[in-house]
Amino acid sequence: MVLEVSRRAVEVTTMGTFQPLPSGAGNQGVDAIVSGFERLGYITDRSLATAVYLVTKLHKPILVEGHAGLGKTEVAKVLASFLGTRLIRLQCYEGLDVNSAVYEWNYQKQLLAIKIEEGSDKTVEEKERHIFSPEFLLERPLLQSILVEDASPVLLIDEIDRADEAFEAFLLELLSDYQITIPEMGTIHAKHVPYVVLTSNRSRDLGDALKRRCLYQWIDYPTLEKEMRIVRTRLPRIEEDLARQVVGYVQAVRQLSLSKPPGVAETLDCAEALLTLGVPKLNQEAIEQTLGCISKSVEDGAKIRTAGVERFLAG
Amino acid sequence: MLGSVEQSSGAARTIVEFCRFAREKGLSAGVQETLDALNAAAALGVRNSDEMKFGLRSILCSSKDSWDLFEECFETFWRESAPRLPRRAKAPPKELASPVDGRSPTSLMSTGSGDDASSEKDGAQAVTGASARERLGQADFSTLSHSDLATLEQISLRLFKQMSRRLARRRRIATSRGQVDLRRTIHRNISRGGDPMNLRYRERKPRPHRLVTLLDISGSMSSYSLFLVKFLYALQKHFRRVDTFLFSTGLVEITSLFRAQRLQDALDALSQQPAGWSGGTDIGGSLRAFNHIHRRKLRSSDTLFVILSDGWDTGDPGVLATELYAVKRRVRRLIWLNPLLGLKDYEPIASGMSAALPHVDVFAPAHNLDSLLALEKHL
Repeated sequence: MVLEVSRRAVEVTTMGTFQPLPSGAGNQGVDAIVSGFERLGYITDRSLATAVYLVTKLHKPILVEGHAGLGKTEVAKVLASFLGTRLIRLQCYEGLDVNSAVYEWNYQKQLLAIKIEEGSDKTVEEKERHIFSPEFLLERPLLQSILVEDASPVLLIDEIDRADEAFEAFLLELLSDYQITIPEMGTIHAKHVPYVVLTSNRSRDLGDALKRRCLYQWIDYPTLEKEMRIVRTRLPRIEEDLARQVVGYVQAVRQLSLSKPPGVAETLDCAEALLTLGVPKLNQEAIEQTLGCISKSVEDGAKIRTAGVERFLAG
Repeated sequence: MLGSVEQSSGAARTIVEFCRFAREKGLSAGVQETLDALNAAAALGVRNSDEMKFGLRSILCSSKDSWDLFEECFETFWRESAPRLPRRAKAPPKELASPVDGRSPTSLMSTGSGDDASSEKDGAQAVTGASARERLGQADFSTLSHSDLATLEQISLRLFKQMSRRLARRRRIATSRGQVDLRRTIHRNISRGGDPMNLRYRERKPRPHRLVTLLDISGSMSSYSLFLVKFLYALQKHFRRVDTFLFSTGLVEITSLFRAQRLQDALDALSQQPAGWSGGTDIGGSLRAFNHIHRRKLRSSDTLFVILSDGWDTGDPGVLATELYAVKRRVRRLIWLNPLLGLKDYEPIASGMSAALPHVDVFAPAHNLDSLLALEKHL
């Protein structure tokens, strides 16, 4: 059975937060994304917002790279709620195969169906058609993303650098035609081309072909001001002074050439920990207590200690 | 889609010129990217130069390196052509590009399509690669000229990758069958009414050994170290677990530097390491340190232990022999690669080397590309 392409108008009025992007006027479009993302608790800059705007306009996938804990994955989540569409997520890992990324047949159910029909007088062809019908198909994220009926979903392909090259090649095919072929059923075309967000930690080089197909965005560590705004937005309860101290402290720690420099996620963890502990002011003891939020290895912890805690408290 | 740009065709022209300029500078700005850039310009409106910059950047870049390069590229281009922008953009490309890299306008024109240009270039490289491979494969690393080194580096990266892939594809004879593959089993048995008579199996891909490497970076090895590091980097990809150490007078673990990073990042990080590159050598002491701290990383069933060193040891040969024997008992195979073995008259009579030799399973040269590639059979 081939699912036909429907060119129905996108119906999103029921989805709530969707805001039609003004066409042509790019400025306003980008502004809408900056303010819309901010309302959803994601502080962004114009660089990222412009790239996201182009994703919605040009319908190209975007590859987001940057250090851990800087909100790469969050981009896709916020984009989905900004557009008021579904987020479909595929977490990549070593050995990810088509069975768990695209589709799989429900074998147990198929076996049962075969048993049940044993006595019936259906021909073999009929039986085969039955057990390879959509009823027995387990949709995995990539197939789901092109089967969505109502509006373009956001497809998040997380940590693509962890998947192997074979999978990357497969993905290339999907991203160019937005169609998937299941031998037993035929080719399925996307009803609505998904917005694709790929993230990578640069643990290996991605193929040139994939990179050329994507828009690219590098996310760097935020400036002090931006990080302050992030902390204030995420943790409205925190005092201005404490927030400034924590952000200054983490920004100083980032200069230490640790093996895993803390990202924004770590800043937020640390600030939240201080709030929970009821510490009004960052001091040596507080830093010691929350060291586990900032450094994730013994060596890094030792480096922070030897760097001298006073240094972090100065700013 | 380009229609909306038409009224400001001057701007469109500038964008095309910028893409061409960026290509000259080494960004991947082919025809497709140029079209995308124009579409992006139409979507963004051409008024705000910041947005324009961000938009172009997201299209023309594909990695952190190009991301950094773009900044400079954009500044240069727009600074040079600023007075002519945005409306009366008549800036001819030759004026833009020629002061920068001294190319003639004709050579600029001939790079019409980024795709063609790059594929041609790749082709050319492959040709020189083939003959240079013949010539350089036998050459000792320490005797190479600077330009040859660069060529050899390229070739070796490619060959190391190939080797790594070959190793990864090796199969072993399975002693037990894997899981039943239900998908294939069902498909196979439909014609029998679905009774699974003819079972299909699937098996885990064979996973290779773990690799522990000690690389000598003392002065006598310095002309080889760079290649050996790259060799190691290429190898580690297909081992299940790789632990890598550098030693000269002391031992430094660099496993984590190697693991989660690209080669260039790894090399950069490596050069930051304070481990006296090119100092003296104390192989025995380094091995003792290894045995003391990292012994649990060795498992006799599947560990391959590789030492890359010329055996010029300033320490006590007795210690070396004892410690090496301790390692030997705990590994499946101990390989000692010695670049000096490539010299015609070399005899392993340096006191350290001769003390070590009885405990070494494979003693092989590592002075040129061919000798490194020949190691494949021992891995």
